[in-house]
Amino acid sequence: MVMKVDPSKKWSGPVRSYDIIKEGVIAVVVVALLAAGLSLFFSSPDEKAVTLKSWALTNAPDFVQTATGELAGTTTSAGYGAPYNNAAKGPTLGPLKLQDWAGVRIPVDPATSFVTEPLAILNDPAANDAVTAWKEASSDQQGKWATAYVDALGKATDAVSVADTANAFGPVPEMVSALLVMAKTGALDGALTTSDTPLPTDFTKPLLFLADSEGYFGELAAAQHLGGDQWGVMNETGSWPGQSWLWLFSLWYQVEPFKSSGNADTLVMTLMGLLTLCLALFPIFPFIRKLPYKIPIHRLIWKKWYARKL
Amino acid sequence: MHSALNMALINLNHPAHYLGIGPFQVSVGNLVIIVSMFVIFAMAIFLPFPHGKDD
Repeated sequence: MVMKVDPSKKWSGPVRSYDIIKEGVIAVVVVALLAAGLSLFFSSPDEKAVTLKSWALTNAPDFVQTATGELAGTTTSAGYGAPYNNAAKGPTLGPLKLQDWAGVRIPVDPATSFVTEPLAILNDPAANDAVTAWKEASSDQQGKWATAYVDALGKATDAVSVADTANAFGPVPEMVSALLVMAKTGALDGALTTSDTPLPTDFTKPLLFLADSEGYFGELAAAQHLGGDQWGVMNETGSWPGQSWLWLFSLWYQVEPFKSSGNADTLVMTLMGLLTLCLALFPIFPFIRKLPYKIPIHRLIWKKWYARKL
Repeated sequence: MHSALNMALINLNHPAHYLGIGPFQVSVGNLVIIVSMFVIFAMAIFLPFPHGKDD
């Protein structure tokens, strides 16, 4: 039975003194001691940064394959849509085009941003000539060159270059090989972080480029159980505990229909929003609001009070 | 980085162990935290709480 309370009536039940300052001080001291103690025992995750240089040095074939994919327009970032380009409408919720409506706020054309612009600042006449030949060609011709080279690299296992015996690749092999050299020296990391600002604080471009890697970057994530299909949102690098409170968000990504949906982010966020709304509206649902009477955990917490009442 | 990690008494900078059945998967580190939360909740309910003079 739900008791009706008159909010204008003054509290006439028992009262007790309560020192919130004392409790606050104790809580701060205990948490500070716990944090210092646990840091001493376990330290904290400090993974080495993943860079374009480490990618090029560790898995050059994957770097070359991805860079050629950027020229062919077949990578994830090339077809991502807003806020980088207009290649796709992105996630929708019924008639709501959530991603598309945000608009192109950070324009990124992968072929230009990741390949031709960095090569243009390289002091390499052969690479500069290759970029000029690329820019002078029609977009249709560019697509044919890059797609032919992507296919050839795909057939040649672990190759960083393929001989152009049929004269089908145009300037693409020269451009990609020069980009690989640039990446191995670390110059590409610098070029992409300072292309829009002199301060190297914007990592949008190198992160997009890295995320297009299906070999190196994906394997790093999978090895640390950070993939979306590995409960990755909950996990941390190494053996440290992660964000276990995100278990319910992670759960939906492991089961159908969310698991195989290209619209999973929107579906999961909508579902979690509805569940949170249900939690907030807990007191108005007829059956659910009586659960505390059927599962009286509050009587354990306030056992002294209920003992006195009896 | 390595010197700081080496100073830790217990080194967790190695691949984690995972437990799982079907689509459910949890790292041992996360499981320890989740079990600890239940244990602390149970302790908070059942252990005698220090009483103030008015109690």
